[in-house]
Amino acid sequence: MSVIEVRDLNRTFDGKKVLRGLNFSVEKGEVFGFLGPNGAGKTTTLRILLGLLRASSGEALVFGASLANQDRLRRRVGVLLENNGIYDRLSARENLDYYARLYAVEEPRAQVEEMLEFAGLTERADDLVGTFSAGMKRKLGLARAIIHDPELLLLDEPTSGLDPEAQVLVRDLILRLSGQEAMTVFMNSHHLAEVERVCSKVAILHHGSIQAFDTVEHLRAGSGMPRLSLSLADPEKTATALDLLSQLPSVSRTEREGNRILVTLTRGSPASPILTRLIQEDIGVEEATKVSRSLEEIYLGVVQEAEGSA
Amino acid sequence: MNGMLIVAQKEIRQILKSRNVLASAIIFVIVFGGFSSLSTLTSEGGGGPLDQLVFTLVPVLGIFMGYLFSSQAFLREKQGGIVETLLCSPLSLREIWMGKVIGVTVPAYGLTLLAAALILGLANSLSQMTLLPSLPLIAHLFTTVPLFIAATVGLLGFAQLLLGLRENQILNFAIIFALIFLLTMSQALFGSGFTISWVVVGSSLAIAILLLIATSWLTRFLDKERIVITIP
Repeated sequence: MSVIEVRDLNRTFDGKKVLRGLNFSVEKGEVFGFLGPNGAGKTTTLRILLGLLRASSGEALVFGASLANQDRLRRRVGVLLENNGIYDRLSARENLDYYARLYAVEEPRAQVEEMLEFAGLTERADDLVGTFSAGMKRKLGLARAIIHDPELLLLDEPTSGLDPEAQVLVRDLILRLSGQEAMTVFMNSHHLAEVERVCSKVAILHHGSIQAFDTVEHLRAGSGMPRLSLSLADPEKTATALDLLSQLPSVSRTEREGNRILVTLTRGSPASPILTRLIQEDIGVEEATKVSRSLEEIYLGVVQEAEGSA
Repeated sequence: MNGMLIVAQKEIRQILKSRNVLASAIIFVIVFGGFSSLSTLTSEGGGGPLDQLVFTLVPVLGIFMGYLFSSQAFLREKQGGIVETLLCSPLSLREIWMGKVIGVTVPAYGLTLLAAALILGLANSLSQMTLLPSLPLIAHLFTTVPLFIAATVGLLGFAQLLLGLRENQILNFAIIFALIFLLTMSQALFGSGFTISWVVVGSSLAIAILLLIATSWLTRFLDKERIVITIP
């Protein structure tokens, strides 16, 4: 059974379709990235999964049931929304203690201390949260979300509004949870670099429908045309090489990147004939590397394609 | 511990840490409780007026405390978005609402009893004989007053969770006017000759219980979606 199962999910607000027939699933132990621009429907999907909003049609199941009417099932789920869910007028320890008891954690005191350490806030444990920086609050929010050791963690833009240093810290914490604790993580984000580093599987949402859904590796492999980065033995022959390559039918595009040449091949073309041709022309190739597409390129491609077909 | 009581305990702790809100509540008690009783007690004499004053003024003060603290527990939490996280917890919406109502009612009632003690102290300091509240009045203070506060807090919490930001602003104005009206009414009742009998106390207790049941019934219409889409 999938941890999350979304089937033909639709949601309309005041006659406007916000979600259009979403279908995806998240398996146990996966770190799932739900990507999309602002207004794509990510938060609405998350809220439906959490049982905070109703679906107009279709299903959003967590552990095989809807969280909307399963109060006790929510004990197995940890949530960090845009708001950290912590109280400025209470100390870090009081906040964690409150949630530990709400979730009926067996040894709340020990767990609170462990979570303070996890978030690196042991020394500030008794300070009011109102005096914390945004990064500290986010880390405390994450500690709060996992204090009951959930099997599934749902995150909404976990590094939004944080400085780069805090972003790295929060990202590392998420990686630790998925690695050491084998927690299933569902993460809403429009931070592509973050998703690329953290997630094993992604869905790209645009205007309420999923445009791509696969593992990051498969998306990279199957998206667009293959590319080669060449480093020539004699950089002075770069212009000649560019000229030659642009005439080959298997080459769709050439770009110069410093002393390297970036060659985009036509779909299905192998790289070896190109290298052979260069050597035949006495242009020595020192290094040839296959270039993977970044998630950002894939994302932009998918979004542009969706815009074009709309 | 029961989830509802955990919420209640947190609300009490938070209210006790909110110095500004506590200061406003105490100032209100002194200004309206102290000065109203001073002006009325100096113009009248004996135990009858004291009973009337405590009977009418103390519940109004309690309702005000409930209003003040419920804004912290319900409205502020909704405006800040924290309520959304709480709705994802294993507690039902009703348990959350009940927990908050208890958590707000306890400190509001505590301060209300202090206000009653202040009025009694002032009355005794102004009188040459010892003035003690009647038994029906004591029963009123320990039964009807907390129920009235709880019903008001429950109703306010219900409305604050249900309504959007603008509607809540309008509601706040309406409540302030209603409180002023209630204070004026309590002043008007004072000296009108009615006595605090067991029948009066029993009737007001019945009204408080009915109000509490009605408020509790209303929470059936509370809905997570409605709360979430009205978060500013």
